[in-house]
Amino acid sequence: MILRRRTLLAASAATAIASPAIAQNYPRRPVQLIVAFAAGGSTDVGARILAAAAEKDLGQTITVVNKAGAGGQLGFTEIARARPDGYTLGFINLPAVNTIVLDPERKAAFNMDSFIPVVNQVLDPGLIWVKGDSPYKSLKDLVDAAKKEPGKLRACTTGILSDDHLAILMMQEAAKVDFRIVHFDSGTQQLAGVLGGHVDVAFDNVGSVVKRVQSGEVRGLAVTDNERSKFLPDVPTTKELGYPTVISSSTRGVAAPKGTPADVVKVIETAFLKAINSADMKQKMDAVGLALKPMAGAEYAKYYADLQKQAQKYTEWALKMR
Amino acid sequence: MEALNHLLAGFAAALTVKYLLFALAGCVLGTLIGVLPGLGPAAGTAILIPLTFSLDPTGAIIMLSAIYYGAMYGGTITSVLINVPGEAASVVTCIDGYQMALQGRAGTALAIAAIGSFVGGTLATVALVAVATPLATLALKFGPVEFFALMVAGLCLVVGLAGKNMLAALLMTVIGLLLAMIGVDPVRGAPRFGFGVEELYDGIGFVPVVMGLFGVAELLLAAEKRQTHMIQADLNKWMPTREERRASAGAIGRGTVIGFVLGLIPGVGAIVPTFMAYVLEKRVSRTPERFGKGAIEGVASAETANNAYANAAMVPLLALGIPSSPTIAVLMGAFIINGITPGPFLFQERPELVWTVIASFFVGNALLLVLNLPLVGLWAKLLKIPFSYLCAGVLIFCVIGSYGLKQSLFDVWVMLGFGIIGYLLRKLDFPIAPAILALILGPMMEKSLRTTLEMSGGSFAIFLDRPAALVLLAVPVIVIGALVFRPGTFSKLRESDTD
Repeated sequence: MILRRRTLLAASAATAIASPAIAQNYPRRPVQLIVAFAAGGSTDVGARILAAAAEKDLGQTITVVNKAGAGGQLGFTEIARARPDGYTLGFINLPAVNTIVLDPERKAAFNMDSFIPVVNQVLDPGLIWVKGDSPYKSLKDLVDAAKKEPGKLRACTTGILSDDHLAILMMQEAAKVDFRIVHFDSGTQQLAGVLGGHVDVAFDNVGSVVKRVQSGEVRGLAVTDNERSKFLPDVPTTKELGYPTVISSSTRGVAAPKGTPADVVKVIETAFLKAINSADMKQKMDAVGLALKPMAGAEYAKYYADLQKQAQKYTEWALKMR
Repeated sequence: MEALNHLLAGFAAALTVKYLLFALAGCVLGTLIGVLPGLGPAAGTAILIPLTFSLDPTGAIIMLSAIYYGAMYGGTITSVLINVPGEAASVVTCIDGYQMALQGRAGTALAIAAIGSFVGGTLATVALVAVATPLATLALKFGPVEFFALMVAGLCLVVGLAGKNMLAALLMTVIGLLLAMIGVDPVRGAPRFGFGVEELYDGIGFVPVVMGLFGVAELLLAAEKRQTHMIQADLNKWMPTREERRASAGAIGRGTVIGFVLGLIPGVGAIVPTFMAYVLEKRVSRTPERFGKGAIEGVASAETANNAYANAAMVPLLALGIPSSPTIAVLMGAFIINGITPGPFLFQERPELVWTVIASFFVGNALLLVLNLPLVGLWAKLLKIPFSYLCAGVLIFCVIGSYGLKQSLFDVWVMLGFGIIGYLLRKLDFPIAPAILALILGPMMEKSLRTTLEMSGGSFAIFLDRPAALVLLAVPVIVIGALVFRPGTFSKLRESDTD
């Protein structure tokens, strides 16, 4: 272990000294893009579309590597620990990264400074949804039912301290209700759980189920955002419905490990931003129901810092309940 | 009837030269992925996705599906020949397949695996055509509660049918479960039992453990015997005899049913059906003592269940858009990238595509059979290599396989360490399979139990409210109860020995 750490240190020192030369030559070999969630999930789908587009500008193959587990913690750890030479990048999902850092029990091997947020790709607002033939026709129905039977209605997340978990906590706080929270691992499990009747309501993101809401297979009750989703124009927002504090979304963007030379970061930013802003990207992401939200440089860094404050409150609350 | 018309049109498309070539290429690539250890079907399929970008969606899906089936079959080859499962679902095949190879019947084992895979895969696809949507919806009723009960039943049956080694099997199961606990807590996300070793954060890798316990342990045992040739095989006799065919027919039938049913349930994974089919086969056999010593039914049942599962797992994907295993999730990602969203509306929106793909499942299964039967002799020839070379080759294979998965040297040490442990266990006559099954099922079991308790607010009474779970939990109670309290009931089983 000591040996390994020493090698890493030596490697990063070497990188720092040699950085101008590296940037001129960067990238000379294939780049790895770590995704902290399983293949086939919506983070993965977006990442694969982005990788395929950005590798044209970067001039090197970008390989998506799925390191799923522990609500993204395994993958994020991998990104934070990677050699900061620009050849290992990763997708950071916010607020997943924030909550992992904020929960002492998770003993995260990284903190908010471990990543350089480079380019954001997606902002996927939260969606509260039920089965298509559920008796809950609106958010009001759901809240009323939850008030009648406190702690009985089963609401599922995509993992402890995920954005979906925080959204449930926000909803509980705003509507003064109490759900029985069931933690699943993925949107797929939520779907199987709700369609199979094992849980009553899912707190999820628009991108995971947009097709199924459009088809009527599931019913969207509310989008947890300030404005309606362009994919689901008929689903009201929590703000419209009188819960302006229930605002939650998941953002996904490309980050580099701390210590990556600034000029290498610039090369990555340029290539990925160009790919994200292309017409082809918009068309492909529309097809899978993921809303693009390009952010880079100072704007992304500010978002990254602001979110930390918001996440802190609910994470502390969640930890108290545990 | 309409479905049949669609299917015929699908066949017309799938049988064009272009799509046949895609299917063939997929089968070959998939077999390679299956043969290479450490490169499982999920990783292999993911790597090959970009290859399909330049194809049209139908061609891409046909090729990826073929890769998936090919990989499921490819793992058999190394399991039989060198006792190293190329992918998780082939673990069970090692038990009797390798014993058959030691007896010079490697060709027969591979042949029956190919035949079983073909029958299981084809029948599962027929069932897919007939009843996809209603069955998939029904399977959704199988939630975390039933899932946990299924896992418990599976583990208990493996222990209960271990014969005279029951106590040893129980011990090995518990050890497997304990090993499975290492890593991140699946609900709270807190790391545990890692003793500060960063590499253990992600748990103990399944592939290095299996390669060590099976492959390396086998090398150590074989080296002890100073063999010059690992196996003397008569390569011309690979066609199963009439007796072997008769013995396998029932196993193939039962394997198909088990594989298909479990394939419908999201999250079961490919290994559970193979274990279940194997255990059932041993249970119904008149000569269970042959199992673990080269029983052809053991190979036939596991391999059939494996492929029936692979095809049935397409049902929840195509009918509901729910991927039931990591490999299927990768496949689903590929579907989406190629502009196809699997789900209930796929059949209405893109019938020509769905039915062509389904038709190509039939074609792919047939191609695998045609491809593999003539190659059986070629594969089996590998065993003619002098032992010293083969031994070195297998060891290199294991090192590369365990390293390649995560590019981690730690995994190589794990593999070698478990090789020595496996060698000692074999010397002490402890069964290895229960530990492996427990290691794989452990995390799934734990997660489903904890989800169940979240659903019930912490009450175990939830198991009493769910009839399916109750029935599943009753099976092991009865079997083990009978073994403990009325030892005579299964006397013939107790003479036998599961490895």
